[in-house]
Amino acid sequence: MIELRDVSKNFGGVPAVSHFSLKIESGAFFVLAGPSGCGKSTVLRMINAMIAPDAGIVEIDGQDIRATEPEILRRGIGYVIQTPGLFPHWTAADNILAVPRLLHWSASKCAARLDELVALLHIDSTLLGRYPRQLSGGQQQRIGVARALAADPGVILMDEPFASLDPVSRLALQDELRGIHARSGKTIVFVTHDMDEALRLATGMAIMEHGRLIQSGTPAAILRDPADEFVRDFLGGEALQLRLLDLVPVRKLTKHGRTRETLTIRADASLKKALNLMLAHQRSALCVADERGTRLGEIRLSDIVARRDAI
Amino acid sequence: MPKVHDRVLLILFCFGFAGVLLGGFLNFAPNRLAKGVAYSFFQMPGFEMSAVLAGLLAAGFLSFASREKLRACATILAASLILWGGLKGAGDFAALLIQDGPPAARASLGATFWILAGVAILAIIDAVQKGNFGVPARLCIGAFFCAGFFLMGALGNLDHLSLAREFSSKRDVFMTELLRHLGLVCAATFLALIIGVPLTLIVLRKTAVVGFVFAGLGILQTIPSIALFGVLIAPMSRLSESLPMLRELGINGTGPAPAILALTLYSLLPLVRSFYTGLSEVASEVKEAATAIGFGARRMFIEIELPLALPALISGLRVLTIQAIGLASVAALIGAGGLGTFIFQGIGQYALDLVLLGAIPVILLALATNLIFAVLLGLARRHS
Repeated sequence: MIELRDVSKNFGGVPAVSHFSLKIESGAFFVLAGPSGCGKSTVLRMINAMIAPDAGIVEIDGQDIRATEPEILRRGIGYVIQTPGLFPHWTAADNILAVPRLLHWSASKCAARLDELVALLHIDSTLLGRYPRQLSGGQQQRIGVARALAADPGVILMDEPFASLDPVSRLALQDELRGIHARSGKTIVFVTHDMDEALRLATGMAIMEHGRLIQSGTPAAILRDPADEFVRDFLGGEALQLRLLDLVPVRKLTKHGRTRETLTIRADASLKKALNLMLAHQRSALCVADERGTRLGEIRLSDIVARRDAI
Repeated sequence: MPKVHDRVLLILFCFGFAGVLLGGFLNFAPNRLAKGVAYSFFQMPGFEMSAVLAGLLAAGFLSFASREKLRACATILAASLILWGGLKGAGDFAALLIQDGPPAARASLGATFWILAGVAILAIIDAVQKGNFGVPARLCIGAFFCAGFFLMGALGNLDHLSLAREFSSKRDVFMTELLRHLGLVCAATFLALIIGVPLTLIVLRKTAVVGFVFAGLGILQTIPSIALFGVLIAPMSRLSESLPMLRELGINGTGPAPAILALTLYSLLPLVRSFYTGLSEVASEVKEAATAIGFGARRMFIEIELPLALPALISGLRVLTIQAIGLASVAALIGAGGLGTFIFQGIGQYALDLVLLGAIPVILLALATNLIFAVLLGLARRHS
């Protein structure tokens, strides 16, 4: 568990973070969101001691991070930034193995780990001997993520890692990352200002403004009940209800039983997808089936409209 | 009208051709001081003359050739015809003239020869760059020309040229002065590194002193070299008078000590500037990433900053060593020796060949140093 207790930081007299407290459970995919300059990156960098808070305490698994040498601490925490920050004079493979080598792993252990990471992140192994400038942005960031995972750290910090990628690479890497998180149970702290990205990835999130924590909770809880106008606007204002539909699976509103509907949607698809299908085919109800195609029941437009009571 | 694919080569060809038509190829004088007779290019032995003309015409035609790599190779061959033909021709021509002349007669190389040699060398350098040859190929080409030159010298082809006579009469002194010249340059470079590297590290840490340090070094750089050599004489001799220990080490107001000091001072600006720029231009996100994954300051400097700044560091060293090679010739004026000795002796005695005996090796040294650093730079740039 990562815990920040009443943390504050000023830069040249300007408060960047003030009286910030937050608990991030182990195994969470925690997103720190907020507009540019809200202090989210500063919070992130206080977790691996890149920035020392003026006041307050940062603890990882109950231990004050100041008890550990910063270099030693950082070798146990993965880190990915926006521009990949790969070492331009090292090959992709050397970049990936930077931390294992800092930790003096044996050559055979390094080689084995490299194979694992290549498989995990679906890296084309012909890229490993190339230098960063010979790789595309998406490939570079894949290597960057592999470098963060290389020494198998329990915590990974990511500062807008996919912000400079094209939409296709971004979606692919987001899916990849979500899969890795689900399988590995690592704690990921992820900074972004992109709400779609935040909602797609987060199991828990915090929204910041002017260096303060405004609201934290699960994405669904925040969407359902934004703390104030700022959060409502930041989450998407008018389209907020539509975003919420994206988070709820069709299963939750399915009326079980026989149905006459012929157009089918899977039970694990989102309500937004269901609504889209209804609009596209001018239906007010759809048949719901499980992944094997067994019909479970139906979902009605009126239930989606009235979903507040149902969820 | 065929298309010109290599303008540089065409211009060089025109220069070479103009050189052949105008000016004298060989200057023949009854003794060192008398005014001589200029012999034109067309009076030299026929075989070598045709070789030079063939090379020159080939260069002219090659400037219309479109295939880059092929043209580069052919240009090098054509240029070697011009260079070796010219040298051999001048040597044989001198031998012919001297046979019938008085014992003190001298045959010195004229404007046409130097223009042709210059054209050939520039054509080779340009062809090597355009042909995009790798490091081993470049070194082979360089070695090929050096070997040819030494072979001709060893076979006695050049013995009758006054420059060669000047060299053979001063052979021992020449080697001493050459080594002394190199010694001055190496000592100054070494001292500049010892002072400049810590200075760079200070400037990088304490940004407040950047302006101050560069202003100071800039002022040093603007002092004319002769003036700086002169200015150092008084304090250095005072210093050696008051400190017998220094005197025992041979440190005086004149001689190598003030020369090395002056060269060091001149070297500091290019060194500190390039080291500072190189190190401060290492991308901040790369440094941030290195810090964030657990690199300490020392490790980061050695494994990240230094290798990434290496091309800039090598460029800086290249500038300062070439500059020092040139400036060290002036050091002869304050008794530090070096190749400048021949230049100033030659000027004093109105012996042009003696001046060339000093000047040509200085130019060759600078060119060779440049080549070495270009090779190093190519190696360093491969991955950054």
